[in-house]
Amino acid sequence: MRVNAQQPPWRVIRAFPGADGSCLVHLHNVSGGVLAGDRLSLAMDVERDCRVQVTTAGATRLYRHREGSRPSEQTTKISVAEGGLLEYLPDALIPFAGSRHSQHTAITLANDATLFWWETLAPGRQAMGEVFGFNTLRIRTELQSPSRPLLLENFALEPAQRLLSSAARLGPYTHMANFYACRVGMPAATWRELESALNQFCCAHSRPGVTIWGATTLVADGIAVRGLSVSARELPATLTSCWKIARRFLTGEEAIPPRKVY
Amino acid sequence: MLLELLHLADSALPVGSAAHSFGLETLVEEGTLDCASIGPFLREYLAEAGALEAQFVRRAWRGDDPQTLSDEFGARRPARESREAALKLGRRLARLVNALLHAPAIAENLCYPVAFGIAAARMNIAEEEAGLAYLSQSVAGLVSACQRLMPIGQVEASCLIWDLRPFIAQAVRASGMEEIRCFTPLPELASARHPMLETRLFIS
Repeated sequence: MRVNAQQPPWRVIRAFPGADGSCLVHLHNVSGGVLAGDRLSLAMDVERDCRVQVTTAGATRLYRHREGSRPSEQTTKISVAEGGLLEYLPDALIPFAGSRHSQHTAITLANDATLFWWETLAPGRQAMGEVFGFNTLRIRTELQSPSRPLLLENFALEPAQRLLSSAARLGPYTHMANFYACRVGMPAATWRELESALNQFCCAHSRPGVTIWGATTLVADGIAVRGLSVSARELPATLTSCWKIARRFLTGEEAIPPRKVY
Repeated sequence: MLLELLHLADSALPVGSAAHSFGLETLVEEGTLDCASIGPFLREYLAEAGALEAQFVRRAWRGDDPQTLSDEFGARRPARESREAALKLGRRLARLVNALLHAPAIAENLCYPVAFGIAAARMNIAEEEAGLAYLSQSVAGLVSACQRLMPIGQVEASCLIWDLRPFIAQAVRASGMEEIRCFTPLPELASARHPMLETRLFIS
């Protein structure tokens, strides 16, 4: 692994070698969270035939906005070269009450590149009674293969402006999880088979009104699993199981959870 | 152009929209959506997905590359069944319009809002009106699906659609902005979960 450049508050702490020749990288935000006015930028290039697992040391906390500052920003640009494999498994994003944040994630996959990626979004510090107390959370996501866009998302959550509890948005749920498994060049039938396997699992782990899960084939080269829940506790185990199912299905290998303190 | 507009906006246009619920069937089945909540649901749905789809109608009408637009729309619709529904409706609309105009006006591999925008441009329907017609027809289709899923009478359904007029107009106005944001995770998840329903009235 080569760290080309790093500036606080980002720190790549170390790389743990994996048994299969891969490496696990811990990424820390040493400031403890994202502050108003922060402009964080993360770029990762997974080179040809490289295998990398990237995780965070804990949840990304978005602190309350400070008047006179710009909203905080985080830009993540990732490329995975031919034959490369990236597992990008960050902890949850927790927007504190009064926070204003914008996040842009762009991932480019080359032919035969593989990606396992999840993201989870909490409504705030629920234990403190913060549920959708943030001002704005803007998220843009672009996932591209060489031939076409696979996933494009662009949304802004403004709880005071747009009712998040509408059934057109989150309904009764407060927590959201997404998992993506992609491998460029796999035939469409493969994804339908994986969709079916994951949906069986998702169905068995869904309780409408509490937690629901579903898997769906992307427009090409991948699959998305989505979960909505009323509690943070309901999400991680199912998310990990979906990753394990997809990992075994696409690579024939077992998923190894990141080495860190849980 | 009024007759052309009325023809294109007709909810009975033979493109197969009656076979699709775009995830509403799951929402009703799981108890998230009922007769009382369908109106508020559609108002918010128009503000999110409605504005997004109307923007694709506008961009197609303006002459953006149809295939690029259709690919982009597919990437913004992660739920397979809803995405495939949009492609099926687009194919049926292209065949219909090509037959009506006696010309290969629209390629048959485009998603519905893109095909609709091109059709409207070919029929000399104004851009704004094309967006209004598209969303009016979409709302009528969703309400019709709800009528088959819930006890909603003809008059009640008509009132629902009538009351949504300002929200349709607002969504079309919003679709004229450069950047459209759309956040509909629950309907998308409902569409993803639709294949797992034991009994299904709709394809999507």
